[in-house]
Amino acid sequence: MLSAFLSAFKTPDLRKKILFTLGIIAIYRFGATLPSPGVAYGNVQQCIAVMQEGDTNGVFTLLNLFSGGALMSLSVFALGIMPYITASIILQLLTVVIPRLEQLRKEGQAGQAKITQYTRYLTLGLAILQSSAFVALARSGQLFQNQCDDYPIVPETSLPTWVTLTALVTTMTAGTGVVMWLGELVTDRGVGNGMSVLIFTSIAARLPSEGWTILKNQGAWGFAGIIAVVLVVIALVVYIEQAQRRIPVQYAKRMVGRRMYGGTSTYIPMKVNQAGVIPVIFASSLLYIPRLVLDFLRSDNPSSTYIFVEKYFADPTSWSYITLYGLLIIFFTYFYVSITFNPTEIADNMKKYGGFVPGIRPGKPTADYLGFISSRITAPGSLYLAAIAVLPNLFFIALDSQQYQNFPFGGTAVLIMVGVGLETVKQIESQLMQRSYEGFLR
Amino acid sequence: MGVSLRLKNTFRRIMERPGTTVDLRPFSKLLPEIEDRGVELRDVTDEELTEAAGQAKDLVEICAVGREAADRALGERAYDVQMLGVQCLIGKTVAEMATGEGKTLVAAIAAYGHVQLGNGPVHVITVNDYLAKRDADWMRPVYDLLGLTVGYVTGASTPEERRDAYAKNVTYVSVSEAGFDFLRDQLITDPEARIQPELTCAIVDEADSILIDEARVPMVLAGMIPNEQDPVHSAAGLVKSLIPKRDYEISEDGRSANFTAKGLAKLEEELGGINLYDSEHIEQLSAVNVALHAQALLERDVDYIVRNGKVELIDEMRGRVAQRRRWPDGLHAAVEAKEGLSASAEGEVLGTITVQAFLGLYQTLCGMTATAVHVGDELREYFSLEVAVIPPNTPCVRTDEEDKIYATFAERDEALVELISSLHEDGRPVLIGTLDVSESQRLAHQLREAGVECAVLNAKNDDEEAAIIAEAGKYGAVTVSTQMAGRGVDIRLGGSDQADYDRVAELGGLFVIGAGRHNSRRVDDQLRGRAGRQGDPGGSIFFVSLEDDLVRHHASDAIPAWPKMKFGGLVEDERVTAAVEHAQRVAEGVNHEIHRNTWRYSIVIEQQRKALAERRKRLLETDVAGDLLRSTYPETTEDLDDDELNKMGRDIALYHLDRLWAEHLAELAEVREGVHLRALGRVDPLDEFHRSAVPAFNALIPEIEKRTLETFEEIDDADGFEDGWEPERAELIRPSATWTYLVNDNPFGSELDRLVSIVGKSLKSRR
Repeated sequence: MLSAFLSAFKTPDLRKKILFTLGIIAIYRFGATLPSPGVAYGNVQQCIAVMQEGDTNGVFTLLNLFSGGALMSLSVFALGIMPYITASIILQLLTVVIPRLEQLRKEGQAGQAKITQYTRYLTLGLAILQSSAFVALARSGQLFQNQCDDYPIVPETSLPTWVTLTALVTTMTAGTGVVMWLGELVTDRGVGNGMSVLIFTSIAARLPSEGWTILKNQGAWGFAGIIAVVLVVIALVVYIEQAQRRIPVQYAKRMVGRRMYGGTSTYIPMKVNQAGVIPVIFASSLLYIPRLVLDFLRSDNPSSTYIFVEKYFADPTSWSYITLYGLLIIFFTYFYVSITFNPTEIADNMKKYGGFVPGIRPGKPTADYLGFISSRITAPGSLYLAAIAVLPNLFFIALDSQQYQNFPFGGTAVLIMVGVGLETVKQIESQLMQRSYEGFLR
Repeated sequence: MGVSLRLKNTFRRIMERPGTTVDLRPFSKLLPEIEDRGVELRDVTDEELTEAAGQAKDLVEICAVGREAADRALGERAYDVQMLGVQCLIGKTVAEMATGEGKTLVAAIAAYGHVQLGNGPVHVITVNDYLAKRDADWMRPVYDLLGLTVGYVTGASTPEERRDAYAKNVTYVSVSEAGFDFLRDQLITDPEARIQPELTCAIVDEADSILIDEARVPMVLAGMIPNEQDPVHSAAGLVKSLIPKRDYEISEDGRSANFTAKGLAKLEEELGGINLYDSEHIEQLSAVNVALHAQALLERDVDYIVRNGKVELIDEMRGRVAQRRRWPDGLHAAVEAKEGLSASAEGEVLGTITVQAFLGLYQTLCGMTATAVHVGDELREYFSLEVAVIPPNTPCVRTDEEDKIYATFAERDEALVELISSLHEDGRPVLIGTLDVSESQRLAHQLREAGVECAVLNAKNDDEEAAIIAEAGKYGAVTVSTQMAGRGVDIRLGGSDQADYDRVAELGGLFVIGAGRHNSRRVDDQLRGRAGRQGDPGGSIFFVSLEDDLVRHHASDAIPAWPKMKFGGLVEDERVTAAVEHAQRVAEGVNHEIHRNTWRYSIVIEQQRKALAERRKRLLETDVAGDLLRSTYPETTEDLDDDELNKMGRDIALYHLDRLWAEHLAELAEVREGVHLRALGRVDPLDEFHRSAVPAFNALIPEIEKRTLETFEEIDDADGFEDGWEPERAELIRPSATWTYLVNDNPFGSELDRLVSIVGKSLKSRR
């Protein structure tokens, strides 16, 4: 991999692309730390410090993770890439409901371009909504769960309040527009998928500060131990993400004079982790719900149910929580694979274009076969996902439960980072191969 | 030009909308100068004009001299707008000029300009041989006066004639001939045998057709494979007995067909109770699949015609016979078998290049057509060409009526015949554009039954084309044609001598009727463009039926169940009108997607081809192969004549290089066929394609060396140095892959797509 990067830098065209991407990342990070007008930077820092000391498994932690900490500090890029992702998902869902969108989707590139345009508008709309909401939350102190009311984040100034608020919302909305543009620039002219690269950046950006916290709290040996474990986990994740079973497929729609290749190059790759990171996100989102409800019902003398739920379903270090988390992940893995890997559809597609698995008849037998393999391979896949996701929880039982937050070495973060990393490296590698002839020609 | 209009144009230019990016104002400013210079030139002798032509170096002089030469040689004085066109072509853009505005002359003057500016020699790329010859002969007097030589290449030209034609200043050649010559030059074993010189400058006629439509199909050069056993014939017989819908089904978009379980059982029984899906029966399975394709998806007189015992393909965009084009991969033989003809030998691909990559080899590229703006984005994306819209000399006064949509074929045809009869009674000339050969025949038959005499022009009688078109504008003429009449033909009102011009013009000029929308708006517009030439009066209308393939394939779900209908099946419903437009856009999108994927997957092949061509050139022009033999086998080669050894080494090495390249291409075709399945493993199919293609190519170079040495050793063992070495050379034929099964390289969609579609399906089923 390292050699790939080195030779990538030797190819002028690719070097330009990589440097361009790094430049965009720098701009993105700069905007993520740049405070919006009207926000008291010092107070924000105070509040974040307060949050880190307390036992604060906040509601917005996942969002904060994706925005690289920009959200809590109400920076220019506070909303990050999330409005764009949400908008894409909403438009995808709308194509099912609105015939006009469905028609556009079928019209190929020209129609797709229009849908992209709609997505952009919707992103800005969502950005206005979300930024207004967050500004309101910040002003009322709820962003930090009222633990930080002594330090107003948006203090009163000589300007009328509405001016400050409008400026804030406008800035954050514009920031979202810029983030969207940066992402598209990376996709078009840089390396990797823009959205993924930006999410990667956000998560990676938290590593130094979290690492520092660990070093401070655990001492040098503890820190070294954690780093060692993390490296092992990353290696394991890389290994399993690459693992796949290849189901050979032969195509018989062409009469080729001298057939020399027995179809070894044509196969369906079935990944061990066919589902990717989505089941983990689903499961953890679902497990946020008890926490969310508890936050709303917080009172001075909690009922016994409240305490029960808090103890067993909202505390990430409790065994019941961990077990439930693992089971949910396994369930969602099967669920997600059953949706995204549809054996009947694949068998139909193969049949349509004259493909078949050698020795197996097309249509239902092929679908059954694919379904069988899929469910077999999903078993280790789901266990692996659950193990990776649960690992940090176990870790913190052993160490210090206080430190559990959206710890960036956590399962979700590692899975996302390794996934994006692998995807980007593969793309660079592919482009590198393609360009190797320029050297060859000389 | 009003301020608001100018502002609007400037804004659109900033938005880079195709057709607005080329600013004609600087060109227009030169027009008075050209006019003035033209007046001076009027008094010089022919010899002096030729001399001035040889010295012209700037735009004004080139245009003025070109205009004067055309005036003298043809008696046609180029209009100012034609001068604009010349300048746009010299400025390396695609000029959009309406029909009848004299594009051929514009191309000739622009070709002269390019030669004068040092961009030459120039190739004028045409869509077919007929136009190459016609235009070259037509413009020859102009070139003579300008002191340039001109030649043309057709399919019938011998290698000597070709070499001769390419040596001229300006060569007219069809895109398929030029590409063929290029590919053949890639396989020569003697530097002397080269036909085509370096590619320098191309002016592309009917640019959208060649640059966009043709670009979907890679040009392929194949060698015959003799003595192949032919399982296709027996398969064709088997498939013929199957019953549609019960034994096989055709997909909704009409691009693929497959057997049902019943059909398979029947086939297997007929074949002696075998399991076709056992790996040893793959040949037979391929044969029946190919035969099914020929049987179910390719229709006689729509996709091809049978003429002189041969199957000839029809170009779907132009309605003409596609010269020497074949279907790939045994499909052609299967169609021949279906028609009971003896199957011609199958080809193995020896070399391939896309139209796009081929035209990209020209250092200077420009073009002209009547419909460029619709494909402006694609021209920019694939060729970095901008579109310049040249205004017509006299504004077009044609009236384009709204589409008439009918529920069924029969109702549509009835209305069509009725309209034609009434127009014919008045004596107004009518041109009907149908979608395919069989439909043109059917409609002609109906017209004759209704007592309307009509001329029929389709791919079957293309040799009468010129005669039919010449009289199509005559008083009372009715011409039924296919897309053939849609492009490149010039219909003059009142017949070829324009004797009846006034009478016909009074009736409203030529009336064009489209019997069904085509797969692309450009083809529709081209057909409409036959009327209203050079400010003539004219009219056009399209008759669409909801049973048309276009609507059925692409918008079947967008048609409301109970559209508002009038008596006689005339549908007047906005939703239906929108659905028809939608269907056409889907068809355009599909074609664009195919083009795009042809291109994306050809990039790496093209790079490899270039790298290998470089290697081949070295082998061909130097003695590296002989040196290799000498250094590897010093003893054996010692007593051999150096020249002979060099030649032998060269022949052996070139033979293996060509063989390995053909094998490599076959392997890549194999990978390409199934690479879309890789998307299921969440990888990009294109990246995966590169991952297979690149290492395979890297192994090629050492393999050439290895096989060369092996062959040499074999000759050595056989002791045959005296006789030299003769490679087996395949006879070259020209198939062209005209069929792609997969439009998109990820037919399953992204994971989000799949998720959403499941949600959508469950929502809909609950409703």
